Amino acid sequence: MRAPSLLSVYGTLFLALLFQLFPWSGEGVILRPDFMLVVLIYWLFRAPYLCNIGTAWVAGVLVDLATGSLLGQYALAFTLTAFVALFFQRRLVLFSSFQLLFFTFGLLIFTRLSILVLKLFSGHEPPNMHYFWPVISGVLLLQLMRFFLGPITQSTSNEAN
Amino acid sequence: MLKGVHQKLEPQQTPAFFVRGASPFSRMVLFCALSIILMAVDAKLNYLSQVRQAFIGGLHPIERIANIPSEFIRDFRKYFSVHNQLVQENYTLKQQAFEDAIKLQRLNTLKSENTHLRSLLGGDMPIHPRAVLGDISHTGRDPFRNVVVVNRGSQHNIQAGQAVVDAKGVLGQVTRVYPFSSEVTLITDKNLSIPVQVERNQLRAIAFGQSGNTLDIPYLPSNVDIKIGDKLVTSGIDGIYPAGLAVATVTKINQDPKSPFAKIISTPTAQVSHHLQLLILELPELKEVERNPAENEDDEPTNTTTVKEAKPDART
Repeated sequence: MRAPSLLSVYGTLFLALLFQLFPWSGEGVILRPDFMLVVLIYWLFRAPYLCNIGTAWVAGVLVDLATGSLLGQYALAFTLTAFVALFFQRRLVLFSSFQLLFFTFGLLIFTRLSILVLKLFSGHEPPNMHYFWPVISGVLLLQLMRFFLGPITQSTSNEAN
Repeated sequence: MLKGVHQKLEPQQTPAFFVRGASPFSRMVLFCALSIILMAVDAKLNYLSQVRQAFIGGLHPIERIANIPSEFIRDFRKYFSVHNQLVQENYTLKQQAFEDAIKLQRLNTLKSENTHLRSLLGGDMPIHPRAVLGDISHTGRDPFRNVVVVNRGSQHNIQAGQAVVDAKGVLGQVTRVYPFSSEVTLITDKNLSIPVQVERNQLRAIAFGQSGNTLDIPYLPSNVDIKIGDKLVTSGIDGIYPAGLAVATVTKINQDPKSPFAKIISTPTAQVSHHLQLLILELPELKEVERNPAENEDDEPTNTTTVKEAKPDART
């Protein structure tokens, strides 16, 4: 497996920003995954030496600016998520595919909840349950990324050797 | 020999384990602090609005690129829309235009009569704002707010605070202006309130946005004279929304015996999700307090129509 380059990390992050800016409508608005976050999580898992908490913070600020929300909300939520992801990153080798899926699910829920708390503190009203749909589409997106960009951990290739 | 084995390992094979830099915890603390500072600065001070404007301005080309696929699909659909449907639409529009033309003739006479009567009484002239036509480029990306983004910005002389209407009624107000786009907060947003008047009995109140695309009129006594089906129109006392525009229809009244106030729920008349165009009304000029009526008559010609579309020199 080729080691990922810095270009591929920032290239996919830029693509994610583009998708985030895409004008979604109808059902798409509800189901749209958090592209930036999922791409971030993928690289945090796979190459934490290229994409770290700082990258997560910058991506969060970009999302803040793009959504027009209070600056720093998504940045804080992304930072916290990146920390949790990195905290367990060394154990990912031991995770089965299903466990990894479950862990990503938990991470995405965690981000959504922290954004919810921050938004409620800044005086927004609670949204309905549609708010959590992007978690599921996010997990699916990560599976797609694993399929197209390569597996997250090298455990399988090591076993093959 | 053991050394040799170690040397064969490339750093990329196991970097995740050993190449880490500063500890994640210290990084997390640093960036959390930065975010909290950012939030405080953005919420309490106004330094960052410039940054935001510059960023959204810079983002404009990327946004245009992201918009290309959906625009293409829309154009494609438009091209292949059924001929029959267009003929039908043309027919109804023609009929509508004919009816409106008759009404407009009456309106002009009424308007001149009205100005004449007002000048006789020495009253102030009603506001006739001009308007700019805008396209909705997308509904906001933040699920917590009821906003739409329009493709007119500070380059088209849009200012924050301008009222936004569609053919059916008031939609909301411009809250943020970027170089090529602006953000319109809808009247159903929790942070927006609008002064209204019940059309039937001229009762004045203030309506607040509520979740679930409705408006709430709080602080009215439980025996207030409002019925289901009453039409709410703008009262015009705020100087932002011109008087008499349709806002909402009362759909539900809950009278709780324990509460001294009635809970009045209404649904907005304007339909955001049904079309792509809307009108951004110009802010009324701040009038000087002392002005004699004769001057007023010169400033406000009798034949201005209430709303004019994107023609810069349309005012006669």
